[in-house]
Amino acid sequence: MVIDDALISKLEKLSRLELREEEKVKVKEDLNKMLGMFDKLNEVDTNDVEPLRYVLDEHSSAIRDDVVGEELDNHKALQNAEESKKPFFVVPKFLKK
Amino acid sequence: MVQYQTVVGLEVHIQMNTYSKAFCGDALSFGAEPNTHVSTISLAHPGTLPKPNKEHINKGLKLALSLNSEVNKVNAFDRKHYYYADSPKAYQITQDRLPICVGGALEIELADGSKKNVRIHHMHMEEDAGKTIHDIDTQYSMVDLNRAGTPLLELVTEPDLNSGDEVLAFIAQLQQLVRYLGISDGDMEKGSLRCDVNISVNPVGSKILGERCEVKNVNSKKNAKAAVLYESQRQIALLEKGLTFNKQTLHFDPESGRTSPMRDKEDADDYRYFPDPDLPPIRISQSEIDEIQELLPALPWEVKKKMKEQVKLNEYDSTILSSDKKIADYFFNLLEQKANPKLLANLMINKILPHLNGKEMSSIEIEEDVIISFLSLIENEKVSPSTAYQKLWPALIDNPSKPPKDLAQSLGILQIKDDGIISKIIEEVISENSVQAEEYRKGKKKVFGFLIGQAMRKSKGSAAPDVVKKALMDALHN
Repeated sequence: MVIDDALISKLEKLSRLELREEEKVKVKEDLNKMLGMFDKLNEVDTNDVEPLRYVLDEHSSAIRDDVVGEELDNHKALQNAEESKKPFFVVPKFLKK
Repeated sequence: MVQYQTVVGLEVHIQMNTYSKAFCGDALSFGAEPNTHVSTISLAHPGTLPKPNKEHINKGLKLALSLNSEVNKVNAFDRKHYYYADSPKAYQITQDRLPICVGGALEIELADGSKKNVRIHHMHMEEDAGKTIHDIDTQYSMVDLNRAGTPLLELVTEPDLNSGDEVLAFIAQLQQLVRYLGISDGDMEKGSLRCDVNISVNPVGSKILGERCEVKNVNSKKNAKAAVLYESQRQIALLEKGLTFNKQTLHFDPESGRTSPMRDKEDADDYRYFPDPDLPPIRISQSEIDEIQELLPALPWEVKKKMKEQVKLNEYDSTILSSDKKIADYFFNLLEQKANPKLLANLMINKILPHLNGKEMSSIEIEEDVIISFLSLIENEKVSPSTAYQKLWPALIDNPSKPPKDLAQSLGILQIKDDGIISKIIEEVISENSVQAEEYRKGKKKVFGFLIGQAMRKSKGSAAPDVVKKALMDALHN
């Protein structure tokens, strides 16, 4: 995989980040290093190895019973929001998806 | 001229009717005050951890088993990333690589009685998003996160559907199934069941599928059918003109009956799926599967078959009485109490269901034993069927706790079949109308009707006409 300007710009878009020119250079360098590491890992033949999805794979997952637990009231729910208009969180107006 | 075939696959989102959300204890709360059923988990506060809901899994298994879908005994959650205000985590917890089940089929029945097997590709568990509202403020979009985290099952079909009618039949059958299973209210108006409809057209005989367009979030069976009709015609028209078109995501407008593009699939979202590190895989044992299998109720098509084959009801009656599980349960329950099947079916279809007018079966104010006595009055010919429907039923609605026999008595509609009583009436009629009786005996046969009328009047209309007729005939010929 080649880390080029087009890919950087796609990643910026996906992560809603705007990088300055010098940051782009740095990110490009970092990503290339990371991919290098994966290339190294790829040298190992894993054809007969089951993928490990989860480190505690042997443990059964913690599952809840279907009961209603503690909720936040509207006041508390909105408290950490940057902007709100009771009883809603608000975001800048955008077109419908 | 080239003939085209419409090819449709569905993605159906079904909201589970659990008490709490998929990964936290917030209550499910359709129509509640905005942002009152939320928690640090559904609001994605840092450091919080999701925990799967046992009933989400169990309800998923119920649907899987009823569709003969193969359960993945190890299934797992993945993150699907997208950035939108309805999801504070900026990803949705879903199942990508290892869904809860794979394969299976649902048989649908079309209006002409023909049947079709629609294959299921797979079904996965995921969580619903919150709601964004754009029309109450000029400056802001409002966000309500009560729905965020509601447990969903997404069912994905193979592209086995070939018309709007088939799509409609499939959704209706699935809706009936989830209601029978008690896993979802299946209410499309409320959004408990929502459909993405993937439509393409291809020349008949060709194996190559045309470019596919996806109509998002269709919210009624009628709209799904209309979207298929409109979209297949639109695509055929383009192909006829020799034009090509891209994969598209479309919105269906029920007002105009048209579709319009939301965004080109060309610039497809990159969801960057990866295993959710917060959620260990779900492991399901064979004994858990067996347990769920045991709990499965009779499925709608099994119930209908039983009504037709064992109870000998006709197609129409069986369809109506099996349409809703509570209606079917009521029917079988009264059968067990020795109700006459055909009379009960008639009463339910012509009187009880119209009376309930869409309300739940359980809201009927007349006790079961009262219904049984009502039916036995008809069966034992104490009240004629037409009189029972026209007079006794309305009286029973007004006095639901009174014994039907007493009501019939006070209405004077109990049929008298007692030979003793009737022959006494006939005797009186003949002696009071000796002139006419004599005329009859001399051959003036049409006087018979007059004498019958007199006898019926004397019995206040409650004598059984066939018995009166026979008794009068006997008396006049003696």
